[in-house]
Amino acid sequence: MTATDPDVRIPDPIELDELEEERLRAAAGLGPRRVAGDGAGPAARPEYAGFDQVGLPDRPPQTEREQRLFTLNEGEMLLNMGPQHPSTHGVMRLLVKVRGEVITDLDVVLGYLHRGIEKLCENATYTTVLTYVDPMDYMSAMHNEHAPAIAFEKLYGIEVPRRAEYIRALVVELNRVFSHGLMMGFLALDMGGLTPILYGFINRDETVELLAAISGQRMLFNFFRVGGVNWDVNDEFINRLSRWRSNVEKTIGDNELLLTQNEIFTGRTKGLGVLTARDAISLGVSGPNLRASGVPFDVRKAHPYSIYDELEFDVITQPQGDSYARYMQRVAEIKQSIHLIDQIVDKMPHGPVQAQVPGIIRPRPGRAYAAIESPRGLYSVYAISDGGPNPYRFRMRDPSYITLQVMPKLMPGHLIADTMAVMASLDPIMGGVDK
Amino acid sequence: MRLLLDRFPGTVSQLWTDTDTVEVQVPRGQIVDTLRTLRDDDDFGFFFLADAAAVDYGPQNWFEVVYHLYSDRHPAWLRIRVRVDRKSPHIPTVTDLWEGAMFHEREMYDMMGIVFDGNADLRRIFMSPDYRSFPQRKDFILPDDAADSAAAGVNPLERPETWDLSRFTDALPATETHPGSDETAVEAGETLADKSRPR
Repeated sequence: MTATDPDVRIPDPIELDELEEERLRAAAGLGPRRVAGDGAGPAARPEYAGFDQVGLPDRPPQTEREQRLFTLNEGEMLLNMGPQHPSTHGVMRLLVKVRGEVITDLDVVLGYLHRGIEKLCENATYTTVLTYVDPMDYMSAMHNEHAPAIAFEKLYGIEVPRRAEYIRALVVELNRVFSHGLMMGFLALDMGGLTPILYGFINRDETVELLAAISGQRMLFNFFRVGGVNWDVNDEFINRLSRWRSNVEKTIGDNELLLTQNEIFTGRTKGLGVLTARDAISLGVSGPNLRASGVPFDVRKAHPYSIYDELEFDVITQPQGDSYARYMQRVAEIKQSIHLIDQIVDKMPHGPVQAQVPGIIRPRPGRAYAAIESPRGLYSVYAISDGGPNPYRFRMRDPSYITLQVMPKLMPGHLIADTMAVMASLDPIMGGVDK
Repeated sequence: MRLLLDRFPGTVSQLWTDTDTVEVQVPRGQIVDTLRTLRDDDDFGFFFLADAAAVDYGPQNWFEVVYHLYSDRHPAWLRIRVRVDRKSPHIPTVTDLWEGAMFHEREMYDMMGIVFDGNADLRRIFMSPDYRSFPQRKDFILPDDAADSAAAGVNPLERPETWDLSRFTDALPATETHPGSDETAVEAGETLADKSRPR
């Protein structure tokens, strides 16, 4: 048995007398322990005595907001969901203030996945930046590459061949189909339904195999190049695409049959997490979440990039703005994407898929902004060139990062269990949030 | 573009346009009023804050805060650039106009150390609360081999021996501006990055 220093030894709380506890609390920088009716704080009811400081961090609050968050009223406690809670869609932490089972306040704690991709990109050449952005929002890697590619082409001033633009639009819409399809599954999974995620993964695997056939990789495609795309599509790919096309509506339809009219599902999504159009605009929400609140803002229509001005589609909106509307919005957008894929395949021209660009690109000094519609909303890149081979500044605006701001706005008044239903309906991906 | 010049005489400067972007420069003091007019006035209708980012112009000794706005009445993105002094990087907050600017501003504070006056929740968002340096500034050298790679060697800003560090050491915000941003003294040749991130 090793000898322990009595001053260092961590005492068991049971054997502490009051004076000793006071001394230890003072040493740890904590205030006097609040007990019922001692006058130091609001009188706690006996059943809460001892629980009134649960979850409080051992540092002073830094801002007014934290001050409010860390002030516990009678019967309230702080609860940490995460960082590895199964339904947080990645590594994040929700600091939830609850009274009983009702949420009274909520804070989003980020940074567990932060890799500093923007800084890394400032040290990479323009070509290698396109590989760094893949693992950001790993559910929509094609979209992640699209925006930087457009921005760098603007900086460098090259025209992309028409066929390359069509292939880009094709892979991007394929990516949107499986991303939205998985969202349907995750939403059900977070409410306890296991089957839809399996159906979602069937569809996702078929789509990902297609994208692997064209790009060579299953998840992080590295398919876009400055001035075009890496590989051309051939007849075999088009054949596989038509096989996929005949299956996809069935796999998505299976999920729809399971969920759309399901009484448990509708009971847990309808009327929950209602986001008004005004709040959504003010909070910077974009993409399907914004359109589910009735705002017809779609970058593909608002600022058509690539070939979207040549395709026929309407901006779909839902008026309600609740979790169910966000789900229905995704379902509608999957069908819209399939419709777009049909048009793209019909119209695809012949020609080269890659413009002539040097190995190391040195654009003239300048700035370029490129925004695209990713499955989660407005994804934009602001790139600055100083004439050298790597971008002077590379800024990415990730939609799920901004969308997470609505959580403190939506959740107060809801039950803890509904946090997951609302969050899954917003469909954030932590790889993109933490950059 | 003409509308911008007519409505903001003397405020906007350095107009520049791209294929789908109109860019203007606005002085720091007028940024909130300008953005409010752009958002609320029927002629403009820039209701959506698409992006807010900070750029570190180390050699010129200033930061730039860049706002991108979207309007359904105009065919272009509007980019607004605001210069912020590197020695005292203060700029008024726009969270009263768009609540969604909160995460943008927290990220800019976290990564660049720009202090947004009036922001009620300005704290670190990606780095831990006790972190002390600002990683996306140009004087933050990556402590790993990436800074020595062939690509990085071409950019003079990433080569520590080429620049004068004394310029950066006194450019950080003072302790009383924010509780999270107090820094220790930096010796010559050593950056805050070296202090806070031992290898």
